[in-house]
Amino acid sequence: MRSMDVLVIGGGPAGVAAAAEMARSGLKVTLCEQGGALGGAIHRQPGNPARAVPVPRAQSARWHKLSALLAKTDAEVLTFHAFIGLDATGAVLVEDRRQGRLLVLRVRALVLAVGGLERVVPRPGWHLPGVVTVGGLQVMMKVTGRGPAGSVLLAGSGPLLLAVAAQMTALGAPPLAILERSRQVLSPLRAAPLLLWPRYLAEAAGYMRRLMQAGVPWRLGSSVQTIRPTDDGRLETVIVDGAGAVSRIVVDKVALHDGLRSNSDGLPPAAHATDRNPHVVLAGDCREALGGVAAIADGRNAAQQVIARLTGAPPMSSASRRIVDTERRAQQALANIFDFGIPDLLKLPDETILCRCEGRTVGALRQMLATDDQPSPREIKLNGRIGMGSCQGRFCVEWAGAMLAQQTCSAQPAGAEFIGNRWPSRPVAIRSLLGPAVADAISSIPPNESD
Amino acid sequence: MTDRSESFFWNGQRISFEPADTIAAALERAGVTDFGAGQGPCNARYFCGIGACQACVVSVGGTPAEACLTPAQAGQQVRTLKPVRQ
Repeated sequence: MRSMDVLVIGGGPAGVAAAAEMARSGLKVTLCEQGGALGGAIHRQPGNPARAVPVPRAQSARWHKLSALLAKTDAEVLTFHAFIGLDATGAVLVEDRRQGRLLVLRVRALVLAVGGLERVVPRPGWHLPGVVTVGGLQVMMKVTGRGPAGSVLLAGSGPLLLAVAAQMTALGAPPLAILERSRQVLSPLRAAPLLLWPRYLAEAAGYMRRLMQAGVPWRLGSSVQTIRPTDDGRLETVIVDGAGAVSRIVVDKVALHDGLRSNSDGLPPAAHATDRNPHVVLAGDCREALGGVAAIADGRNAAQQVIARLTGAPPMSSASRRIVDTERRAQQALANIFDFGIPDLLKLPDETILCRCEGRTVGALRQMLATDDQPSPREIKLNGRIGMGSCQGRFCVEWAGAMLAQQTCSAQPAGAEFIGNRWPSRPVAIRSLLGPAVADAISSIPPNESD
Repeated sequence: MTDRSESFFWNGQRISFEPADTIAAALERAGVTDFGAGQGPCNARYFCGIGACQACVVSVGGTPAEACLTPAQAGQQVRTLKPVRQ
């Protein structure tokens, strides 16, 4: 590995846009991707190029352009390299997952573009094998070029449900139905602001045409309340429709999605360089979940910030910032027709799993909240083990925070109040931590380092 | 390896995979959705697909690793994680 000015973490649209822009300005850039190829979740490339999942033409064109731009630079790309943290000495820790070793890197700037997260509201059975996120189902299709086997129900809220259902249909594996919790999707008053974004409307119209032709129902106001395993290894779902009627259906897979969110908990916060630390900039969906178009523009924004700080060059243009602002308004317009609100989690049955990693239940948190001495988010984690597991609260602290807020009628605490932002930001193999790079780094730690 | 369809072992059972498959993709193709005892009390299984949720962690040659990020390799021994508690 060569010396570098900037380390970019994440090979999705934001990271690639940032890396390309900085490399073009003459900075020495290294881009780390945790998986085997660039693209991120949105532009995940098929293992077999002959078996690509159909995506909107504009989307694949964006990726072709972006990856060609990066290829023309001398930016170094390291696949199977995952971000572990920024340590107290200001070193960036990256795990080389193939070699099973830790890299301890000194850089002038660190751009974190690790992508957003899917929200999945807890309900009984959401932890069972066969229950996946809609995005997870989509990534699997993009990689294998095949639709899922068996019968699949898509449920939750958002445009991603339509996109994935249309892709499944194109691969000959249409879902049984899409259960869309919102009743407002087709309300002309609410949908009117979307007329400002004809790109999104055209994309949605294309998906809906395909779904109608295939006879896939899109049931507004319906949701999956409960999932139970059957004796023969399938999943029985309890569905409540817009009129409150309850039905049951047995399927092979349930894919859930309740919107997207940023993913900055557990990452070092954005900050200017100190005598020890590099500049830290967050870019793309991990900073603010605004989708693929915004991610590219946000990556360029991050690059321009870094270029300005490292070279003293003035920020070039505000075009990228304007794109991010426009996409933010588009996401707000979409949020107005879909339902990304948090239901009353206090109504969930006690045995519902809340923290999937540690198997902690809604009942366990309810008991903690029932005491006169209200626990803080930190106490909920440390004493209740909610958010303590290996996903570091990424799939539960939003819900634990919501329960706390609903119980006490107070504002919902941020995820960082539960989990903080100490490294490692993800699990790392002990084997990697004990490798030679660490021994070098320890000898370079300044004395009196006791944090 | 000259054989075009390569395979690894899932709890001793042969699972064939295609080029660039992750372990999760190969298991999905083979119809394996329940990955057995996981890190906590819930069984391991594919969920988020982006290496974030840690639900698909299995033992790859003795080291815990996310099945959704780890490329399948010929002859590899992939196993259910040993349960950390009963």
